[in-house]
Amino acid sequence: MTGLVIDRDDLVVGGRTAAGASPAARRSWAWLGLVPFFAFLVLFLIVPAISVFSNALRTEDGFSLSAMGEAFSGQNRSAFWFSIRFSALAAFVGVLFGTLLAYAAATATRPRWLRSLVTSFSGVAANMGGLPLAFAFLTLLGRQGLLTKILNEAFGFDLYGGDFTLGSVRGLVVVYSYFNIPLMVLITLPAIDGLKPSWREACANLGGTPFTYWRRVGIPVLLPSLMGGFLLLFANSFSAYATAAVLTDNSKIVSRRIGFFLGGDVSIGEDAVGYALAAWMIIITAICMVLYWLARKRAERWQG
Amino acid sequence: MIPVVEPELGGPPTAPTGYVPAVAGRPRRRFGRLAPNLVLLASALFFTFPLLSLARFALQNVPTVLLGWDTLFDKWSISGITAVFDEPQFWESLRLSLKLALGTVFITLFLLLPTAIWVHLRVPKARAFVEFVTVLPYMVPAIALVAGIVVIKPHARWFLNSDLSLIPFYVVLALPFTYRSFDAGLKAIDLRTLVDASRSLGAGWGATVFRVLVPNMRSSIIYASFLTAAVVMGEYTLADTLLIESLPPFQQKFVGREPQAGYGLNLLALVATTLLFAMVTLLTRKRDPKRKTFAHMAAKTTLRTEKAA
Repeated sequence: MTGLVIDRDDLVVGGRTAAGASPAARRSWAWLGLVPFFAFLVLFLIVPAISVFSNALRTEDGFSLSAMGEAFSGQNRSAFWFSIRFSALAAFVGVLFGTLLAYAAATATRPRWLRSLVTSFSGVAANMGGLPLAFAFLTLLGRQGLLTKILNEAFGFDLYGGDFTLGSVRGLVVVYSYFNIPLMVLITLPAIDGLKPSWREACANLGGTPFTYWRRVGIPVLLPSLMGGFLLLFANSFSAYATAAVLTDNSKIVSRRIGFFLGGDVSIGEDAVGYALAAWMIIITAICMVLYWLARKRAERWQG
Repeated sequence: MIPVVEPELGGPPTAPTGYVPAVAGRPRRRFGRLAPNLVLLASALFFTFPLLSLARFALQNVPTVLLGWDTLFDKWSISGITAVFDEPQFWESLRLSLKLALGTVFITLFLLLPTAIWVHLRVPKARAFVEFVTVLPYMVPAIALVAGIVVIKPHARWFLNSDLSLIPFYVVLALPFTYRSFDAGLKAIDLRTLVDASRSLGAGWGATVFRVLVPNMRSSIIYASFLTAAVVMGEYTLADTLLIESLPPFQQKFVGREPQAGYGLNLLALVATTLLFAMVTLLTRKRDPKRKTFAHMAAKTTLRTEKAA
């Protein structure tokens, strides 16, 4: 590659390359550049994912749906019910407070650094799931936690008087909110920025009150972002493992149950159920993510 | 799906009627900002309390039961944190996690970045498809992926018995945001012009990528690398299930063995992650628009001289 050699392939004249090959022919070769990437993905994502399904659908006597059905009975059923319940609640709480926080940060004018602080912190906290977070909440709201003690001594409120533990629905919702709320802030902030002041003025000029504005303009425009956010937070909470590993016992929620089956404490015939749980988890998460994808495409219409 | 905003027949009059509508959502009253400020304050408390509490348990050796006004300032020390460094297992697991993080960043840069450039330059028609493929990992949660790894493990022991075999799976887990970061970086630059200019000035492909494209995509490369490193350093699910002794599984065991030092280690992990992100923010900060670039100044000077002439 010396001197002023112009790559002839790059001299496109009238839709044909200077080298004479038709664009169609060139394109077919260009696809080959993606082969390493796709091969990598097949090896390290597609093959493991398909193996989960093949093991879930196979017993000694060939194809069978029995494990997939068994994944919804007995203890597995209650694990699914518990997981879905707390994930939905965690997603709802995340959407609600995430949107409120995003709105508060987007409309705040006074300290000018406030907005960038909120976005930067959200970027950090949204990725903060995992062990340190679980331990931090254990020191705050655990049985020997700091806030537990403060509430008890200063306000006479016994946090553990009822059925509260950090591994219960309410406990997990509080802990998961720590990464769900910031994630929601990151999702809705662009959408809130997309609300143009002229829409408000137009609404007011037509005689609308703030309530009319939110009911007829604001909420409908934000709705795809809110629904997409709900689905993402649901999938996020549903599949989280590390945080739950510290806070719940072995088999209460689905992701922990899969880990329990993989740990090898079960008899050989039973392990198909573990894979069936994993298969169901992939199915549920995949549905959420596809719907999220569609909602995001819809939401992007008003942004930019 | 979305209720369309339709003009209502017989709705509110559009002509001036003496009624002055309030501009929606704008803080007019004195307490208009009260609710948003309360939200901000509550959030600040919610997000700092757990961290402060973790720091208290890491730095003060007083059981919660005995904690009160008279013991509030007792026994604060950093011994909880220094105890971590005396632990040989800590260094071992840290070294493994660092290797995993470096390996993951390396493969991400050398596999995904060229792919992203290639897609934008040569197969732009495949852009939407590739973008879709890169979010597939979001559909397979880590715990389900590890179930798949357990299935294929007996068939590929020569590879999967190594601790470093986690690297390609971590590349996959990080794929959705790494690819999106590269994609955004490529969309922000005039790729074709840059490549054509560089090539017609005689640069080979290597020089074009490393001396033209990479410097122009600095922010997105830094962002993707740091975020990948942070994710790998904190990844627990795969490592724990496959019994690989990287940092996170050690973090958990250590809390069980020596609570105070364990909390100290987790505090360190949080602080390190936060610093990593702070560094990303500093490194990728947009240049001050008021500070003009050299090209900008040169163009202005030329313009002025031309006018004067």
